[in-house]
Amino acid sequence: MRRSTAWRVFAGEYNDASAVVKGDGERVPSYVITPLGAKINRLFIVGVLTDVESLAENNELVRAHVSDPTGVFALYSGQFQPDVTKSLLEIEVPAFVAVVGKARTFEPEEGMVYVSVRPESVYEVNPDARDRWTLETCKSTLDRIEAVKEGLKLSQPNAYDLTKMGYSRDLAEGVVKAINFYRNMDVEKYVALVKEALNYLVPEKGGEELPKVDVKTEEENKESDDVDDTVLAIIKEIESEEGALWDDIVEKCMEAGLDRETVEESINSLMDKGLVYEPVLGTIKTT
Amino acid sequence: MVDDVSSYIDDIVSMIGEDAEVEREELEKEFRRFLEYGVPPDQAKRTLVKKFSNGKKVEFRKLSEVKPNESNVNLLCRVVTVNPKEVKVRGEPRKIFYGLLGDETGVIPFTSWSSSISLEKGDVVEISNAYTKEWQGVVQVNFGERTSVKKVEDDRLPEVSHEPKPCKIADLHTAFGEVDVTVKILDVSEKEVDVNGEKKKVYVGTLGDETGKAQFTAWHDFKLKKGDVVRVVGGYTRFWKGIPQLTFDDRANVEKVSKEVEVSYKPVPLHKLVERRGGLDVSVEGTVIEVREGSGFIERCPECKRLIQNGECKVHGKVKGVGDLRAKLVVDDGTAGIGVIVGRELTEQLIGKTFEECKRIASEEGGEAVLRLLRERLLTKRVALRGNALGDEFGTTLIARDAKVVDLDVRKEALELLQKMEGES
Repeated sequence: MRRSTAWRVFAGEYNDASAVVKGDGERVPSYVITPLGAKINRLFIVGVLTDVESLAENNELVRAHVSDPTGVFALYSGQFQPDVTKSLLEIEVPAFVAVVGKARTFEPEEGMVYVSVRPESVYEVNPDARDRWTLETCKSTLDRIEAVKEGLKLSQPNAYDLTKMGYSRDLAEGVVKAINFYRNMDVEKYVALVKEALNYLVPEKGGEELPKVDVKTEEENKESDDVDDTVLAIIKEIESEEGALWDDIVEKCMEAGLDRETVEESINSLMDKGLVYEPVLGTIKTT
Repeated sequence: MVDDVSSYIDDIVSMIGEDAEVEREELEKEFRRFLEYGVPPDQAKRTLVKKFSNGKKVEFRKLSEVKPNESNVNLLCRVVTVNPKEVKVRGEPRKIFYGLLGDETGVIPFTSWSSSISLEKGDVVEISNAYTKEWQGVVQVNFGERTSVKKVEDDRLPEVSHEPKPCKIADLHTAFGEVDVTVKILDVSEKEVDVNGEKKKVYVGTLGDETGKAQFTAWHDFKLKKGDVVRVVGGYTRFWKGIPQLTFDDRANVEKVSKEVEVSYKPVPLHKLVERRGGLDVSVEGTVIEVREGSGFIERCPECKRLIQNGECKVHGKVKGVGDLRAKLVVDDGTAGIGVIVGRELTEQLIGKTFEECKRIASEEGGEAVLRLLRERLLTKRVALRGNALGDEFGTTLIARDAKVVDLDVRKEALELLQKMEGES
């Protein structure tokens, strides 16, 4: 069995993925297909490790987040990767890390897909590594945008014609799958995403400079963590099977002495951390 | 719905013969019934032909029309080549045959998994119930236990004569049979070999075109010289771990041409290299995504050069190890990944430390410290590599004879890309 490709994909594209190809048979891998046709079994990420949290006793399950200029990757590492789990817990956040990992999916119910990464290796790196990765991922994303456009031009999108244009077989197959799966695909969204990422690399072009080290001071960090804890506790208290209504959460939290803006910020931060999600618009549920 | 049902019925009638004991109306009724059930018309046709021909007349397919993943394929063709091979199937040793089949429309590879089938080169055979697969973009015919092969008279098929296929070096892996290439001779030397007790002179070397390089063996003195550009019509290709080897003899037509051929040293995208499995003296670029265990300062057995563990060689027992330095990398360009082996001198250059320095670090801080140093220096870096790439069941591994870290001006490249994108929108 040959080694599977380590795709370069931004979190903004990866987290949009909801197409899953399950391998049948023991040694056939599963894939996540992104809207731009990346057919991902394995990925390579360089970004900022923002938090690491143990979810089970004896560090049997650890959750971590790695942020890139477009979004956040959720990492889950368990007892079957003790070395990686140990490395994650030892790195002092925030830190720049290089991660090779496998694509994982979680489907709480039919049609709802959450993607995450099960890391195979994690190493601490320097900011230059992140910049190189960001540039490389911009180029890879542009290649996929191009491939999707070519695929859409074909009257019958098929992998054979795309490989003849020089795209890899994996990408050609992924693009065909993506075109059939994601209806009304908004390619321009990803063009904007690439531009945003490029602007981070050339700050004088009017973009925000990519913070050299992830922003918050320890004190602020602690403060916002406290708020998150309060909000999370309130959601847990009032949620039912279906979750809790956004407005109810805000109301309860304001009663507890928080202002609306802080609460909304905190709900977003809890979502980023993967502690809550939005099963239907306006409803929040803990994971 | 299919409008031209009647043309399908015509086909069926002509295949099962006019004197078959079935009315046209009956055929049409059954055919339409299959279509109502969503059976593709070609499949319905084949089923009916089979049903009413009582197995007397079979529809033979032309090799050029056979597609991947078909079953019940019937062929009338000639065995162009056949070779035995020992393989293990679920741990059991088994003898299989592989080779090429040809008819007037083409040549395709086959594998026979059945022990009861015997084939000879040049036989014209009727094959029934074969199945097809795709392997590396090429359709392949397989014979299983249900497949039967019957030798028939030679005159059932015209002698297969195929024009050698015009081809670039990078496409040799998809060519079967004779090829037609225009190449530059990169080096050549004379060798004496023993063929069935007879001494023979052969001319071996490397050649290339703008897509890649290959080894060659000429069994005839074509007076080839380094730098010559020649057109070789009628050579055969074999592969060793993905490295192409072109063989030709006095039956081939070799002529010097005045055309200029540039041999390429441009990096090959990794997915192309992996698809070809390997390559001779290829250039590639990619990012180091892993520095494997076993990299760094290692000790080898003084007798056999094998890696030793805890001062013990697997073959020679307790030995005094000889130190060495190497890197085992995984390099991936986002389209595919390969393994890379980097020897002592190149590793020294890549990490900016000499072997002696690494040896000292290993003895003072332990071997792990050298591995950490390698990871610190190489992980996430873009590298340009050159060397022979060998493919096996675990993927492709490049043995580096040249390795450099690529200097990237990220800001400059990002700015150029941004300007290009803004120019387009």
